[in-house]
Amino acid sequence: MKNNFVNKLFIASMLLVVVSCTKLDEGPLLYDKVTGDKFGGTDLELSAAVGAAYSNLSNVGGNGNLFALNGVTTDEIVVPTRGPDWGDGGHWVRLKKHEWKADDPMPGGAWGFCYGGVSTCNRLIATLQGINSPSAAKYIAELKVLRAMYYYWLLDWFGNVPLSIDFKNVDPPKNATQAQVYAFIESELTTNGALLAKPASVPDVATYGRVNYYTAQAILAKLYLNAKTYTGTEQNAKALAAANIIINSGVYKLSSTYAENFIQNNQGSKETIWAVPFDRIKLGGFNVNMMTLSYLNQTTYNINAQPWNGFASTSEFYNSYIDPVQNPGPTGTVVGLDSKGTPTTGTDDKRRRNNFLVGPQFSSAGERLVDNGAEPADPDGKPFTFTPYVNELEPNAWRQSGARLGKWQFVLGMTSNMDNDFAIFRYADILLMKAEATARIAANWSDPAALAIVNQIRKEHGGVAEWTTMTADQFLAERGREMAFEGWRRQDLIRFGSFQSARLFQSEGAATKNLYPIPATQLNANKNLTQNPGY
Amino acid sequence: MKILKFVRPIMVALLSLFFVFSVQAQSKAVTGKVVDAKDGSAIPGITVTAVTASGKKVTAVTSNDGTYKVASAEVISRLVVSGVGFEQQDLAVGRNASLNVSLTSTVSSLGDVVVVGYGTQKKKEITSAITRISAEEFNKGNINNVAQLLQGKVAGLSIARPGGNPNEGFSIRLRGLSTIGANTSPLVVVDGVVGADLNSIDPADIKSVDVLKDGSAAAIYGTRGSAGVIIVTTKNGLRGGTSSFNYSSQATVESPVKFTEHMDAAQYGALLKKLGTGNNLGSSTDWNKAITRNAITHVHNLSFSGGTDKTTFDVSMNYRNAEGIAIQTGFQQLNGRVNLTHRALNDKLVFNVQLTSTSKEADLGFSNAFEYATIYNPTAPIYSKDPMYDLAKGGYFEQNATEYSNPYAMLMQNTNHQTSRKINFAGSVEYEIAKGLKVLTRYAQSTNNSDINAYSPSNAFIDRGFYTGATGLGRHGYGWKQADKSVSSLYENTLTYATKISKLDVNAVGGYSYQEFTNQGLSVGGGNFVTDLAKESIGAAQDFQNGLGSLGSYKNGSKLVAFFGRVNLNWDNFAYLSASVRQEGSTQFGDNNKWGIFPAVSGGVDLKKILNIGVFDALKLRTSYGVTGSLPPQTGLAQLTFAGSGNYLIDGNWITTYGPNQNSNPDLKWEKKSEIDFGADFALLNNRLTGTIDYYQRTTTDLIFNVTVPSPPALYNRAWKNIGDLEAKGFEAALNYKVITDGKLTWNTGVNYSTNKVTLTRLDKSAGSYIGETNLGSPGQEATQIIRTYEGGQIGTFWNAVYRGIDANGKYLHDDGKGNAVLSTKTTYKAPIGNGMPKFEMGWSNVFTYGKFDLNFFLRGSFGHQLINTFRTFYENPANAAIYNVVNTKYFDPKLNDASIFSSLFVEKADFLKLDNATLGYTIPVSSKAKAQGVKSLRAFITGNNLMTITNYTGADPEVRWQDGGNILAPGIDRRATWVMTRSFTLGINIGL
Repeated sequence: MKNNFVNKLFIASMLLVVVSCTKLDEGPLLYDKVTGDKFGGTDLELSAAVGAAYSNLSNVGGNGNLFALNGVTTDEIVVPTRGPDWGDGGHWVRLKKHEWKADDPMPGGAWGFCYGGVSTCNRLIATLQGINSPSAAKYIAELKVLRAMYYYWLLDWFGNVPLSIDFKNVDPPKNATQAQVYAFIESELTTNGALLAKPASVPDVATYGRVNYYTAQAILAKLYLNAKTYTGTEQNAKALAAANIIINSGVYKLSSTYAENFIQNNQGSKETIWAVPFDRIKLGGFNVNMMTLSYLNQTTYNINAQPWNGFASTSEFYNSYIDPVQNPGPTGTVVGLDSKGTPTTGTDDKRRRNNFLVGPQFSSAGERLVDNGAEPADPDGKPFTFTPYVNELEPNAWRQSGARLGKWQFVLGMTSNMDNDFAIFRYADILLMKAEATARIAANWSDPAALAIVNQIRKEHGGVAEWTTMTADQFLAERGREMAFEGWRRQDLIRFGSFQSARLFQSEGAATKNLYPIPATQLNANKNLTQNPGY
Repeated sequence: MKILKFVRPIMVALLSLFFVFSVQAQSKAVTGKVVDAKDGSAIPGITVTAVTASGKKVTAVTSNDGTYKVASAEVISRLVVSGVGFEQQDLAVGRNASLNVSLTSTVSSLGDVVVVGYGTQKKKEITSAITRISAEEFNKGNINNVAQLLQGKVAGLSIARPGGNPNEGFSIRLRGLSTIGANTSPLVVVDGVVGADLNSIDPADIKSVDVLKDGSAAAIYGTRGSAGVIIVTTKNGLRGGTSSFNYSSQATVESPVKFTEHMDAAQYGALLKKLGTGNNLGSSTDWNKAITRNAITHVHNLSFSGGTDKTTFDVSMNYRNAEGIAIQTGFQQLNGRVNLTHRALNDKLVFNVQLTSTSKEADLGFSNAFEYATIYNPTAPIYSKDPMYDLAKGGYFEQNATEYSNPYAMLMQNTNHQTSRKINFAGSVEYEIAKGLKVLTRYAQSTNNSDINAYSPSNAFIDRGFYTGATGLGRHGYGWKQADKSVSSLYENTLTYATKISKLDVNAVGGYSYQEFTNQGLSVGGGNFVTDLAKESIGAAQDFQNGLGSLGSYKNGSKLVAFFGRVNLNWDNFAYLSASVRQEGSTQFGDNNKWGIFPAVSGGVDLKKILNIGVFDALKLRTSYGVTGSLPPQTGLAQLTFAGSGNYLIDGNWITTYGPNQNSNPDLKWEKKSEIDFGADFALLNNRLTGTIDYYQRTTTDLIFNVTVPSPPALYNRAWKNIGDLEAKGFEAALNYKVITDGKLTWNTGVNYSTNKVTLTRLDKSAGSYIGETNLGSPGQEATQIIRTYEGGQIGTFWNAVYRGIDANGKYLHDDGKGNAVLSTKTTYKAPIGNGMPKFEMGWSNVFTYGKFDLNFFLRGSFGHQLINTFRTFYENPANAAIYNVVNTKYFDPKLNDASIFSSLFVEKADFLKLDNATLGYTIPVSSKAKAQGVKSLRAFITGNNLMTITNYTGADPEVRWQDGGNILAPGIDRRATWVMTRSFTLGINIGL
């Protein structure tokens, strides 16, 4: 009897538990995860989701994307191998020498950055299309314009990229032609740009950081001005028209000083058409200070981390500011091009002062910085001096060599994430695009209307002499001086036919290098993709 | 006998607690049952000798069911129970005239019993590859970790920890790598508790370890069996009124064996002079010496065990105080354990309760100190008051450089303290429903807590290795706190049935298992303190007021549910067959593939029974096939998830944005490993030579890996998918030979040998052309891939340029793929240049006894593996002498004048043979006076660990690197932030009362 009772008790209790514990739904166990099927139900969640399409833009402030693909590959920037530092498997050197490969990190990163944005936009557009309201329609138009910008970068970098715009299509996409991508961007911007907000004046709190009507026009202006690169056909009249819409609105104007566009709190700039609103706490990722400053400079600005001593400008590019022949104007004492950076006389362009950090370096207390590990060949020894001169690309560039990218104001007490906002479109750029389109339509670089714009910028931003005539090369150099490091140099050089020309640290390259290779990881993951020619 | 004096009062107190067990009794007849202590099975043929008070003896022999009855004309005072193959027991007779006895076996031939999944089996019945290691075979000496006990002892079980960091764990691999999922290390089962933590047991508490090596043996553990199973059995008391008390104590001195070779102050100064660079500061500092010491460790183990007829117990306390060889490092650990078993209803009902608690306070130090000690300027002083060098104003010499700081200051100034608590509770009830039919219910719970408190004061130079990215000078202190907690609980029911049908022994087990895991944690970091005085008050960090503090938390969980069963058949101790199946489901898989089925079958025959094979005393051939699984490395991998992706301005307000960070994969399923094993167990020369050989072949399919997917259409560009297959083959042999058995001198020697080769046989195109790649790192070699695993290649192939010398200008020459040596910049040719996995490993143990002396030594070696010597890749280059001291091995070439460029030059053969440990022991004769006071045994010993290493490797330790941080596909990288190899000497004493 007793045994029977115990038996029954055992078996009953076992069965009870067995029956109840065979459910394997992971949902209740995902304590710290937001699952996709549940997210986006509230207004706040929806705003947060839309924000993700934008916060992806924090990638423009890092050392990949714009700085690597549009800067290091041009005369603007060089990342030399400094002895043990920055060799990194040679990919920085390959960018400089136009020898990049399909499995190099930077093209791969840029692809991921852009399609990450595209994918988020696609998903949000599909979600919002299910909500029938005027505010949803406005969001959709905005996301389509933002997506067009991601596609614009893709077109500019990779050319024949897949047009994946239908969220519901789950097939791995095929390449589209450059012409198809071009047409898509054009139509998206024309259709949706008109639906976006038109700020009456700037800064406009409601749209700051986001695309608006004028942003769409700015993207169109870029698309049209470079149309020949993408489709073989010039569209300068359309470029001019788009630029004129922005200019004639009267919303924007040239800032009174060049520098105020790049100060720590530059969100008030009247030139900003669209900027990524970087912030040391809220939106980190803009770290040109870390990329370019030496670790010794930690004490110059009392930064909370040691900088990495990588990115520098080239003497060639620096010289385009100080050379009185290239850039006539009032002269002054400037850091020279020799190996010691000996002060010399040169054109004193205000934009040089703003854009470069050169010469002897000091701590915040005013003490001269000393590099105890100075290279034997370093001509000025241990005192630490940034020189425009870069002794070699690799392997032993001196740690002090290269003028540093000082364009965005460095402030005492800054952190490894800068507060300065990064303008993707700036009014001066629009003016220069107008000048260029005008000159190209007139087939005359000295066209008075074009010249007037260029001289306005030379005078107001550079404080340098106005020109009476202008050549294509002079215009390109002027664009370089004004727009330095802002992420447009590569397409400018392509448009003027000189991206593959031999220059400092770079020999003549093949025209196929005007497009980056589709990243190897993408080709592996998607059988429907075809590589660009030449790779 | 100082120790005795100290121990005796404690003993008296303790023993008085158990006074109940030694009640005076009067019996003229005693009955009972003799069972095997290991599995409780009846032992026939055991001699039971009753001894009367006057010394008169009467003898009886146990019957087939193990029972006996012995009667005498006089009152029986004690029983002597003895039998071939078992330890003799001498018992006082209890009042009840009934005495059940459990005997422990001594023979280590095929007669042994081994622990298998959900049960035990006689070794002769085993049809799969299982190795048993008992306490006497364990490694000895400076051992603070269970894994260390087994290192080198089991063919196919690889255990390694490069360097002597006492707070670092061991990498454990069984038969190489068989999964790239969660469980690359074997599943641990402690006294039936599946998935236990090897670090929650004190090495001194372990009785034996059984290693289930092949797929068939492990298949009963299903989803976590792919990397094999380690079953730990802890000590328990014996039934029958005896009790024993053991105390052992040992003290160890440990010191570094070898540092990475680098220039001393004079050499470095001369080089700087020649190069006209750098900074000769005129001092002479051996930074490695400065940061290391002779570390002292002492260990005390206290245990008592025993039992009545119904209740057995084993209780222990273990205290370990270990210093690390790096200054300011080490740990103190206190571990307590209670193991209680009670039998009722005529042994039909068995209760078992085990409680284990471990508490550890550890000073983790900073492994980077070993890197910096090698590359820091040897002409710099440790201390400096010169404002040019006392940069952090802490009185130490510092340089404003990246990548390193004064290693001595680093260890002296910064704290990195970990407190961990482990609590395990396990209880089981077993009940015999009918003859041979038993039901068992087990519940176990284990909780691990770890707290880290780290602080870098305001006068320290904050290094990159200090918890977060905030580095350098002027941080005004930085604090980090981290709390992690994990809880797992297990609920299991099993039903076992044993019967005999004619000549067929049948053993069957079936069951249900439910397991739940929860992990959670919180971390917070902030800098910029007004004062260092209240460093644990992290809220005082001004970073939080400026929005710069960091705060993180996580919580995840998973569940496993399984049904399993096994049948073992034994036909007349001649032919054996075993078949098992486990169906298991996990929350971690995609909705379409939650459940997996893991079957196994194995069989064997003892040829000795049917063939006249002369020299063999036993020869069993066996073969097995089994399927096991592996879990994904994390939870939630099958789900589409969103994560915070930075803030953005929406209508002028900052909002935290959310975007996808993982795609869903409803098809995500188990990695499945199927394995065939052929083996033989044999005994020769009157059982003096015994051995086991095995050959296996394992195929793992559906490897789980995080791969790139096209996005769009995927929402995110990475997803976890099943993308490839692995194949492994190997051979294992273990031989044991009792060379000298008779007389005063005995010598027992054993050798084990294993080979293993793992190949990636299939890789889905979506994963790319290779996986598991890893980079060399900073400075300057960030995007320098050195390892990859590709289809058709061995796991962890070193992949890079082939070194061909240097040219007249000191520039590196690499092979261009056509056999030409060209400048490294002129070729991108890359090829396989080595592999970090050993081709074979071996262990050789020897035990000698001579009278009261015993001597044993153990050699351990790994062969055929290579290591990437990262110290050399970065610093064996005069071009970097301006900033870093120069590594100066036999490969150093002063004519080199190039950047640091990786190639096969930095890949070295790392075959090694170590004299792992040697012990000389002496059993001190116990005087009759001491005996009268209850002393049973006394032994003293001295052990040396890591006494000698034979290798050509130039780095500090040639030990196999099984993984690189968390990357299991990147074995063979000797990273810079690694402790150096140590040697130690231990003096110890054991007292049995």
